[in-house]
Amino acid sequence: MGSSDTFKSLCLEYGFALILRIWLYNSEFKATVSGRVEVSTPINSWKKVTEGVALYKDGINPYSGDMFHESPVGLVIYSQLIDQATPYLSAIFIIFDLLTGHLLYLTAVEYMKHLMRRQNEDKDEYSEEVKELLLTDKDVKRQPLYVVAAYLFNPYILFNTVAQTTTVFSNFCLAASFFCMVKGNRPVVCLFLSLATLQSLYPIVLIVPAAICIGYHTLPPVNKSKSVTSKLPKIYQKILPRALQSTNSDHWVRSMAATIGLFAAMTSSLLVLSCYISGGWEFVHSVYGFMLLVPDLRPNIGLFWYFFTEMFEHFRLLYLWAFQMNALVLYLLPLSLRTRRDPVLLAATLTGITAMFKSYPSLGDVGFYLALLPMWAHIFPYLQQGFIVLAAFIITSVLGPTVWHLWIYARSANANFYFGVGLAFAIAQIFLITDILLSYTKREFILRQVSGSVFNGKHRKLVLA
Amino acid sequence: MIVWVLFCLFLSCVSGLGQSQLYGDEFHEELLLKQLPSGHVYSYFQFTTLWENGGDEPNHHCHLFPQSLSEVLHLYDVDEMHLSLTGGLWRHENWGYPVVSAPPGAELWAWFKEGTEDVDKKWTLLSNALSGLFCASLNFINPQQSLNPKYSFTPLGAYASASQNRSLLRYSTLPREIVCTENLTPFKKLLPCDSKKGLSSLLNAGNIHNANYHSLGIHVRPQCKDVHCLQTVLELKQTVSLVYDLIILGPESRDWSFRKLFGVGLAGSCPLATTSKIYVDTSSNGTSSVYTLTPDPTEFISSTRGGYNTLFAVYDIKKTNIITMFSISSTHKGPRVQSLNSPPVLHATRYIVGYGQEHGGIVTKVHNNHWKDMDIILFENIPWFLPIYYHTLKVTANGGKQVLTPYKKHYIPGRDRSRPYALELVVTLPPRSVTEIYVEFDYSFLKWQEYPPDANHGFYVGAAVITSILPHTKNYTGIPIDGSTFSSSINASRDSYPVTLHTEILLVTLPTPDFSMPYNVICLACTVVALAFGPLHNHTTKRLQMLDPSEETKGLLTTLRMRLKSFLCKSSEKKEETPVETKSSKSKTKESPQEEKLCESKPIIRKKVKASKSSS
Repeated sequence: MGSSDTFKSLCLEYGFALILRIWLYNSEFKATVSGRVEVSTPINSWKKVTEGVALYKDGINPYSGDMFHESPVGLVIYSQLIDQATPYLSAIFIIFDLLTGHLLYLTAVEYMKHLMRRQNEDKDEYSEEVKELLLTDKDVKRQPLYVVAAYLFNPYILFNTVAQTTTVFSNFCLAASFFCMVKGNRPVVCLFLSLATLQSLYPIVLIVPAAICIGYHTLPPVNKSKSVTSKLPKIYQKILPRALQSTNSDHWVRSMAATIGLFAAMTSSLLVLSCYISGGWEFVHSVYGFMLLVPDLRPNIGLFWYFFTEMFEHFRLLYLWAFQMNALVLYLLPLSLRTRRDPVLLAATLTGITAMFKSYPSLGDVGFYLALLPMWAHIFPYLQQGFIVLAAFIITSVLGPTVWHLWIYARSANANFYFGVGLAFAIAQIFLITDILLSYTKREFILRQVSGSVFNGKHRKLVLA
Repeated sequence: MIVWVLFCLFLSCVSGLGQSQLYGDEFHEELLLKQLPSGHVYSYFQFTTLWENGGDEPNHHCHLFPQSLSEVLHLYDVDEMHLSLTGGLWRHENWGYPVVSAPPGAELWAWFKEGTEDVDKKWTLLSNALSGLFCASLNFINPQQSLNPKYSFTPLGAYASASQNRSLLRYSTLPREIVCTENLTPFKKLLPCDSKKGLSSLLNAGNIHNANYHSLGIHVRPQCKDVHCLQTVLELKQTVSLVYDLIILGPESRDWSFRKLFGVGLAGSCPLATTSKIYVDTSSNGTSSVYTLTPDPTEFISSTRGGYNTLFAVYDIKKTNIITMFSISSTHKGPRVQSLNSPPVLHATRYIVGYGQEHGGIVTKVHNNHWKDMDIILFENIPWFLPIYYHTLKVTANGGKQVLTPYKKHYIPGRDRSRPYALELVVTLPPRSVTEIYVEFDYSFLKWQEYPPDANHGFYVGAAVITSILPHTKNYTGIPIDGSTFSSSINASRDSYPVTLHTEILLVTLPTPDFSMPYNVICLACTVVALAFGPLHNHTTKRLQMLDPSEETKGLLTTLRMRLKSFLCKSSEKKEETPVETKSSKSKTKESPQEEKLCESKPIIRKKVKASKSSS
């Protein structure tokens, strides 16, 4: 596949995606989709944005009520958008969506290059038998195209765009930070991550993979003879990244501190700007307090709503902490240590975990991390539950709206049905993410370990022990 | 002789009203009876107590004024208070305007004295005290449910300063409140004569709560003592409004009498009352239906007010010689005529639109039947669980053809579990128009313990309040602001006639969770979290290793199973050894190597499955 072929298929994808979006925007599905609880949550619904802007224009503080949960920076931007560009709103959403797709494509291209580079570096470590498992140039060309397709033609993303949710913009910020992450551009990645964090808080976890990734990028050329860490105790050699062992650890401390410091500085200056715009810190409770304390129990695709509807009041705080920690910090450190060699995978995994476990998840969040997965299309053969996950996604996507209708409109079902479907959807996502992680590890392991000497002609099995 | 002296003493007591005149306090009891165009009968009781030294001195002798109420008012620095407890809906379109409007359920609004600190606390204490005083659930009124309207509910009393500090006003409703005899009894106890004598003896619980509409009202305000208004007195108006449907009450459905309406006759007036009068509105007599009143009234009074004439038949109970029981009855003559209903100038309805329990809209339709523009103040009070979208607010007239811009808008967005949504609009209604005020809302999902016991009954939304000034007095019975008694409305032509309308209350069924599920839901959701935690924990804390299945240490159960398997394999081999002559023997021997393989390979396959389980 030549570069002109790639260009052609890219153009084809964008063209088709554009037509599809324009058609959906002008169809009657728009109204149906934008009202769906799976797509529009209190955090990202465009109706709430319109409400907030209307209040803001009439001189009523939108944060004094409970109808608006976007950041003040977002409020100003959206109010300008609605003021200046109401007729072109749909065009803006489509453009941002396509841009997100393109950024993901560029990310994937960069990431595939990086994978190839690493494969070439490590080739001598690989055993002879695994030649056919290695990435080929064809994979490198093809997988970014898969990523674009998985983004642009993902029904979840289509719903998200058509519903005009603000997740379109947060996905754009995320895609931009992914791209800058693989490019190693520290200021821009910090900027986009802090914008995404300002909007929906949960992307804050992505600063860790971003810091690691930028650390790799700014790594001085490896001089193997001057290995400092070989003098370190053995335990450090195990824990610290390989790159860290072969160079001075000062670099890592400095690089990570610089990234996290810059991110913190940007986020806090954005917060101060928000305070200046909204004239007080009231927005913190209204935006972040709302996400963390989950006062609105409107159903969505997540686990929070029914859990906290049915929660006993005196246990509420305990479970609130447990669930928020589960979404934010629980897996951050262990996964960062485990997947430190591949911060992009780490970032994708963390995006997936927060999309699953955050308080107000929407299909736009799910679609975004699903679109990232084709970057690892070469590990799909190792997936164990691929079929189950696919089937569960399809079934729950059909069943969800059905039981919602039965509960809310026909009144012949109740909340348990919808919750059950939500659970199944969450389980499918969990299977998918854990399966991807395991397959990734399996492939890495096989690349390095599988050889005749290991097998010795006997049946062997791979276990996590 | 002695009898004569005693009689003189009694007379001096009654007519001189010794003490009450000494203090300048007054008590008036009045009853208005009106046949409504729809055939219903409206009876309005008003018991007015004027307390000369009201509120000036805390421990002043209350005399005719109920002490329990005076203490409450004084303790919580209340200037003005209006409480209504109502069952049923006043239908303006068919019935015209009541003397005092009240929404279904309970409504309380109060103005606190200038300089009152911590109004919210005083408000809570006031509602709690009133709750005890009237046996109503007013204790559920808390600052979280209360509102502070900006344009509606102007003070009705006489005050030294013209401008009022709006932060001293609190308003709240309990639309679900059910009014019954336990509210009526304490209400009657506030009256100087209780229900032993006077018009209040007609307030017979069994009959009152059978009415289509019944409303108790307590209205306290400072009122000018005289025309010069240099001094104020404290005015307490206790009102009872009843609307009876005569068709339900008895066979001859057009006629009414005291006995039919109240179940009893009147024994006489309250001795402590300055006036005790019954007014029967006979304006409709002779036009739509012809009836005669028995006994004959003391006098007929023609009232000209705002260009409209009303003829009242007045019975002065003080002057009536009642021997046993006094009763007024009307007897209709001639054929039954269905009178044409001419709706009042301004009336409104409110309802919910939309289907399902996801999104909905509230529509308030205000009718202006006048030939000129009319300004209204609309006050919407929407509980927090129906979050309304301010940007969807549409004010249109004449079926959406004419978009109106409210002259003033005042909106306080609600907060979950702590503040209702308050919307006030000042709108100019076009002449002869129906104005539609529409706002969208979402159905909220509450915590399971926030639903009332009968969750599927639904939630009530308080009535919208429309305040306006009428250009004329058609269908109008209100008392002028400078008057205290109903008699002051006779011939009381003014520049304008303030009116307050209450619309319907709304009943909304919110989607409910399954109330029997808490344990299951907690277990299931936690299981899903654990499903993620387990594999991720495994993945992050363990590393992949190649294991030779034969070297793997086996658990007890696995060993046992292996033994059993090998035993079964052996026995099948044994079976094979026994010669079998049938045709199947051939096939069996064919199968045997496969079976052997199976026996061998089975442990490995099984373990692989197990391995994949443990690794995932």
